[in-house]
Amino acid sequence: MINRQDFLLLIRIDNSTLDEWLEDDLLSPDQFEDDLIFSEIDVARAHLILDLQNNMGVNSAGLSIILHLVDQMHSMRRLMSDVANTLEKKSGRNL
Amino acid sequence: MKDPYQILDLSPSATPAEIKKAYLKLAKKFHPDLNPGDKHAEEHFKEISAANDLLSDPEKRKKFDAGEIDAAGNERPQRKYYRDYASQSNDNPYQAQSAYSDFSDRSDLFEELIRKHARQTGSRQGHNLNYHLEIQFLDAVLGAKKQITLPHGGTLEVTIPPGIEEGQALRLKGKGAPSQNDGPPGDALVEISIASHPYFTRQNKDIYIDLPISIKEAILGVEIKALTPTGSVLLKIPKHSTTGNILRLKGRGVQTLGSEGDAFVRLQVMTPKEVEPALEAFLENWQPQASYDPRKDMRL
Repeated sequence: MINRQDFLLLIRIDNSTLDEWLEDDLLSPDQFEDDLIFSEIDVARAHLILDLQNNMGVNSAGLSIILHLVDQMHSMRRLMSDVANTLEKKSGRNL
Repeated sequence: MKDPYQILDLSPSATPAEIKKAYLKLAKKFHPDLNPGDKHAEEHFKEISAANDLLSDPEKRKKFDAGEIDAAGNERPQRKYYRDYASQSNDNPYQAQSAYSDFSDRSDLFEELIRKHARQTGSRQGHNLNYHLEIQFLDAVLGAKKQITLPHGGTLEVTIPPGIEEGQALRLKGKGAPSQNDGPPGDALVEISIASHPYFTRQNKDIYIDLPISIKEAILGVEIKALTPTGSVLLKIPKHSTTGNILRLKGRGVQTLGSEGDAFVRLQVMTPKEVEPALEAFLENWQPQASYDPRKDMRL
């Protein structure tokens, strides 16, 4: 759990970049009074955003599309594993 | 910690022989014993030695070049990727259900599973919001109702229970941020700090009161009104009291359900700022019979 200032130092971005990310809903940290609280998942997601933006040349419009698809994929993966687990239990054996 | 290549003035492709040569050259130049007057030499020499230790060890040099350790030889934490978090946790705030929400049109086992899954993961609770509230000393002792004005407008009612402690946090269920989908709202967490009081201090359930009295009251005894958090009480100061004597007022401390603290009155004998000539004259003429030395224990 780190605050806004520490997050900027850790990810090495400036205030206006973070504001843009928040504006675009790329990140959704917790709020603490007037500050923001970032957890590990936010930090990992910020690294992914930087990789996409700086190393792979994705522009800001592409960023939110890619992140949305990535999030959908993770939900799908969780659903798939839940479905597989439930089927396994119902059938009483490994499929 | 600087880059060891920079310290030794080498390129990252330097051969072991070049590293040794660069180290020897600089070590000679900056050895503290050869530079007794140069305060920076020792620091510099340490840097050079550390850089040489790292680069002359092929194993360490390889790790440093690959970014696995830093210039001090400490291992860099392995980067955690987004998927490490996104795939596991139920409270991933970035979950998206839109990928499969239309599947639930089907009427079979699959539909039931999806609905269950959506209930578990989809209805995510809103964020908890944290606030800080400073309250008066007496509000902390007696309890109170307070209002917090929220940064984005609106207010929050906070009921302070009697006897709340410094740093304690109150959880107001459902008063946090709303859920981003159909889940319940988060909680508001209000951290309490307590302002100090000019006369009262507190230790857990007990209240300490510093009560100033005059010399005459201390020596002759008196009945006076003393202020406690729950109002004033008539207090009998016994004859021959002195600074530091403590009188207990039972049950006059912090009252909570099931337990009550006491109030302790600490006497403080005060001399008047403007001394009456009569008092001065009396002391001039007064010849104490017994010797009394208040500094006896200091062994001066």
